[in-house]
Amino acid sequence: MDNSGKEKEALTLMAEADKKMKSSRGFGTLFGGSSRKYEEACDIYVRAANMFKMAKNWSGKIWLELNSGHLELQGVWAAGNAFSQAAHLHLQMDNKLDGAINFLDAGNAFKKTDPQEAINCLNQAIEIYTDMGRFTIAAKHHISIAEIYESELLDVDKAICHYEQAADYYKGEESKSAANKCLLKVATYTAQLEQYQKAIDIYEQIGTYAMDSVLLKYGAKDHFFKAALCHFCVDMLNARLSVQRYEDMFPAFSDARECKLVKKLLDAYEEQDVDAFTDAVKDFDSISRLDQWNTTMLLRIKKQIQDEESDLR
Amino acid sequence: MSSDFEAYEQDFGTLTAEITNKIGRIPKLGGEEKTQLVLNVDKQLEEVRELMEQMDLEVRELPIQSRGMYQSRLKSYKGEMDKLEKDFKRSRIAYSDEVRNELLGEDAGSSESQRAHLLDNTEKLERSSRRLDAGYQIAVETEQVGQEILANLHTDREKIQRSRDRLRETDANLGKSSRILTGMLRRKAAIHFLLIHWKRVWLHSFVHFPVPLRRHSQTMSGEKEIQRAPPQKSVGSREGSEVLNTSKFRPFPSVLAEFLFPRAGILTM
Repeated sequence: MDNSGKEKEALTLMAEADKKMKSSRGFGTLFGGSSRKYEEACDIYVRAANMFKMAKNWSGKIWLELNSGHLELQGVWAAGNAFSQAAHLHLQMDNKLDGAINFLDAGNAFKKTDPQEAINCLNQAIEIYTDMGRFTIAAKHHISIAEIYESELLDVDKAICHYEQAADYYKGEESKSAANKCLLKVATYTAQLEQYQKAIDIYEQIGTYAMDSVLLKYGAKDHFFKAALCHFCVDMLNARLSVQRYEDMFPAFSDARECKLVKKLLDAYEEQDVDAFTDAVKDFDSISRLDQWNTTMLLRIKKQIQDEESDLR
Repeated sequence: MSSDFEAYEQDFGTLTAEITNKIGRIPKLGGEEKTQLVLNVDKQLEEVRELMEQMDLEVRELPIQSRGMYQSRLKSYKGEMDKLEKDFKRSRIAYSDEVRNELLGEDAGSSESQRAHLLDNTEKLERSSRRLDAGYQIAVETEQVGQEILANLHTDREKIQRSRDRLRETDANLGKSSRILTGMLRRKAAIHFLLIHWKRVWLHSFVHFPVPLRRHSQTMSGEKEIQRAPPQKSVGSREGSEVLNTSKFRPFPSVLAEFLFPRAGILTM
């Protein structure tokens, strides 16, 4: 089949490149053409890697047989390997930029099969970029790493670290909106992990920034609502004071349905009335559906009420 | 004198009952009987009004404490009287439900159609309120979508600003590099000119001025200085390139020949 043909071609190219590498070590120093050999070897590695990628057969669902499945995985793994070989060669030649680019390609190829390897390659690429001082790109790749942690490895702590790094770099490069996007993600995850104070700070910060900007002020109420929910999880009185504060800062917030919901919830909580709580939430949900994070937080608050009720009894 | 008042009330009650009865009958009849009945009802209404006035006087004579109850009753009786008068007027225009029924021929089904009519109305109201809710939902969704779009626009704006700045930087760098390159070119031309022209001058000095070493060295240094001054003046690229061109096009063997056989040079020049 066409794909296995490409596979073989790719393997031959890899062998050729390896040979070149070995040969260059012998003659290179004599003629001073070692850099040329390395460059050629790099090119061949990259071509081989691209062939492996092609051979991967992107509509791979047709290949149900075990052999071809094995071959497919091997293909992608080999692509990543080839890219990382090329990258190491570039680094040896002090060609940092090309090396970083190949590390990125390697990372992308590994994403499909081996997330850990992908993260390693991406980390190396980030190091190179930060050395060169290109922080925006480094930040973008921190975000990719964080996404891998989020989705495949499910390591929320590390994901938070990377998002924070990315946000810092973006702030350093004066792109506030990209930084805010990363900070939002950090806040959602920290709140899920019950580190409420941090989440509150982030949400308030983003909210105050948003309310001044013409474009973003319609989203500000959403941020204040989330901050109020976090306050609520910590302590009811806090929540009340903070809602007051937000209303003073941002008058439009008091008209928002979210604000009215929060007030209703506060009242229900004071009276320890689970039904009123549920009714208010159902009301809000019927108009605009509550998303995953919001439902989790509200459920936590509801459990608090129920626990207190059972305690009193 | 509450007993008088109660007597008045009873009279009032009977009279109003009669009047209502007659008003009900008026639209059905016509002609003579109608006019007679109308006169009758008129007279009875007059009586009712007189009764009302007397009741009023009675109430005023009573002490203040017990007045309240009688006054409220009086008000209700007045209301009834007004209603009777209105009905009377309407009946004279022969406007009543029974007439409508006779015309449209539906008698037994009237109450049911009314019920169906009411149910219809309630359903219409419910439908419109549901539509309003749906409309509100859509408005809220639109607002959310708009919010997301605005946030995206904000990021894109920053990206575009950054790329524009980088572009300007690159432009400046390119300008600098092109200036450096032209400078390099000029310097190379100058050195080239110096190198080849100096050789020519040195060789010609051998040919034209075969003088003893001491003075030769003097003139040589003088020649060299003079020759060095113009090259520094002619840093302008045009002259430099001219010299470059002429020196380029001199074939290498002739230069070598001059170097090796200086005296023969005068023949070739």
